[in-house]
Amino acid sequence: MVGRVLIANRGEIALRVLRACRTLGIEAVVAYSEADRESLAPMLADEAICIGPADARRSYLSAPALISAAIVTGCDSIHPGYGFLSEDDAFADAVRAHDLTFIGPPANVLERFASKEETRRLLAAHGLPTIPGSGLLLDEAQALEEAARVGYPVLVKPSAGGGGKGMRMVRSARELAAILPICRSEARAAFGDDSLYLERWLQDNRHVEVQVAVDRFGHGVHMWERDCSVQRRHQKILEESPSPAMTAAGRRELAERAIKAVVAAGYENVGTLEFLVDGEGNAYFIEINCRIQVEHPVTEMLTGIDLVATQIRIASGEPLGFTQADIAQRGHAIEFRINAEDPEHDFRPGTGTIERFNAPGGPGVRFDSHAYAGYEVPPFYDSLLGKLVVWAPTREAAIARGRAALNEMVIEGVVTNVQIHRALLTSEPFLEGKFTTNLLDRIGSAAFLAGAERA
Amino acid sequence: MPDQHQPGERTTAQRRADHAGLARLSDTLVPALVAKLTGSGLGELEVREGDWKIRVRRPLGSGSSAAAGATRRSERPRMGSHAYAEGRATSAGSRAQPGVPEGPADNRRAVATSPAVGVFRPGLAIGASVHAGDRIAIVDLLGIPQDVSAPIDGTLVEIFVQAGEAVEYGEEIGAIEAPAAAATASGDDVAGATAVGEA
Repeated sequence: MVGRVLIANRGEIALRVLRACRTLGIEAVVAYSEADRESLAPMLADEAICIGPADARRSYLSAPALISAAIVTGCDSIHPGYGFLSEDDAFADAVRAHDLTFIGPPANVLERFASKEETRRLLAAHGLPTIPGSGLLLDEAQALEEAARVGYPVLVKPSAGGGGKGMRMVRSARELAAILPICRSEARAAFGDDSLYLERWLQDNRHVEVQVAVDRFGHGVHMWERDCSVQRRHQKILEESPSPAMTAAGRRELAERAIKAVVAAGYENVGTLEFLVDGEGNAYFIEINCRIQVEHPVTEMLTGIDLVATQIRIASGEPLGFTQADIAQRGHAIEFRINAEDPEHDFRPGTGTIERFNAPGGPGVRFDSHAYAGYEVPPFYDSLLGKLVVWAPTREAAIARGRAALNEMVIEGVVTNVQIHRALLTSEPFLEGKFTTNLLDRIGSAAFLAGAERA
Repeated sequence: MPDQHQPGERTTAQRRADHAGLARLSDTLVPALVAKLTGSGLGELEVREGDWKIRVRRPLGSGSSAAAGATRRSERPRMGSHAYAEGRATSAGSRAQPGVPEGPADNRRAVATSPAVGVFRPGLAIGASVHAGDRIAIVDLLGIPQDVSAPIDGTLVEIFVQAGEAVEYGEEIGAIEAPAAAATASGDDVAGATAVGEA
């Protein structure tokens, strides 16, 4: 087992990793930028070390700064959290080259799953259904030919992308020809790689993902699915499990196919396979996330498994220590992402000092946050302030606990998106379990909030 | 230990360009090189780009053992009191003005801070006279020396860190004291810097 971990991330996930280290009895050092000096994780860690200025390129994205910090603080491992360098195979390789353990999939595994297009092909070969799509686009003529074969409308996607960045839906050949150069330059700017591919556009789909864990010995388990269909511009806002859109048999089949395919493809450590599910319940594999995800607590509430501790154990070379039969799926869990952003002004990010703060509590309520009264929200990073997760034996009871917890939560001084969550818990499509990924954007957040107030 | 091409006589502008280039190289090229070297049986690798060359040489012992032995005054920010942030001259506000004097009694003094997280290697001795931008010491970032630069013209009067000690980004390294005459001449500038530092 690793003995001392450098946490190379910030915000709530740095705190989450710190808590996992504490329960495993291992020490943790938090690496922080100048802008995060007063975040909870650096203050609660065994030790904290400033690695650079607020600019992430010189701190959380600087491999030399992070590796140097790990070495000078006597760490033997680095946990990358999510985002930043968490899925960067060159970073994982450099970490290993310095005799440190990278807490995540090994570099060669990250490399194998780095390209979305190649991953789709690899996992399709291992039995996962994929959305009809194209290979990498070469030029305009070939792109138009491929689009005609796939069938309009099509989604143009960057191969190196993530988080919905750089994706465009087009309905005709003329539209496609016009948008290709724009997509290329956007992809190049965002990911340093302008490779694109096409996918058939699925109207009214749901986003369902399967959590997996595979140890170094090829022993893997799935931990069921999460439904992340409540999105705004491809950004998840609320996640829940089990998916209200799938039958028990459908969920089991999807999860079993997913774990079988990734074990066969040589995956290692904790990961998530994302699927789109259409109106008829057909699931199509879209991508794999080779990291811990923001919404992992939903699965922890249902299974009782500490996913971050599992990551650390697998990276240390230990066997999983449990089998599929040991994995429970109890009750229903919902996660609300609490972001510092203004739903009434197009979700503009908010900054400032939190003047009053109260974290909700009670049975089945968990609140993961790096914030507190007096905390100043820095303007340099994503707007996630915390995650409220509720659990109850049934979906109805979880929704009731969610309402109560959202009402208990106090965050003043900084604008938050809490009202969008309150509105969701009164919206008919959500209560009926019929939310689709495009619903919020189609209605418009302002209209959605106004509708909730009238209700 | 890794080696680095030493440029000859260079102007401040050239030095600045060199630093930008070096920052870029250390962010992208060096980790790749180190990985390559470790994975190979080679003892040394060299890459040239423009005026620069970087040579990575396999150390005799383990690559990290020398640095791992570095001592560090273990610390972390404390909750409740914000004394940690306020007590240091390295907060974001003062970084823009590296020559911020420490206080009214010491208004001819300015503090040089660490440009990186790494291991401190001393350079100039106390008493040395320096110009703003001169290298007074080095912080070893995975074998790549990063310059600790003098923020003002003057004399190096104090060094706060021991050789081989680990330092974090922004840590105070040494104090430079401006000559008395210069302080009088540039009194307005010093006052201006104080205002910025306290804003």
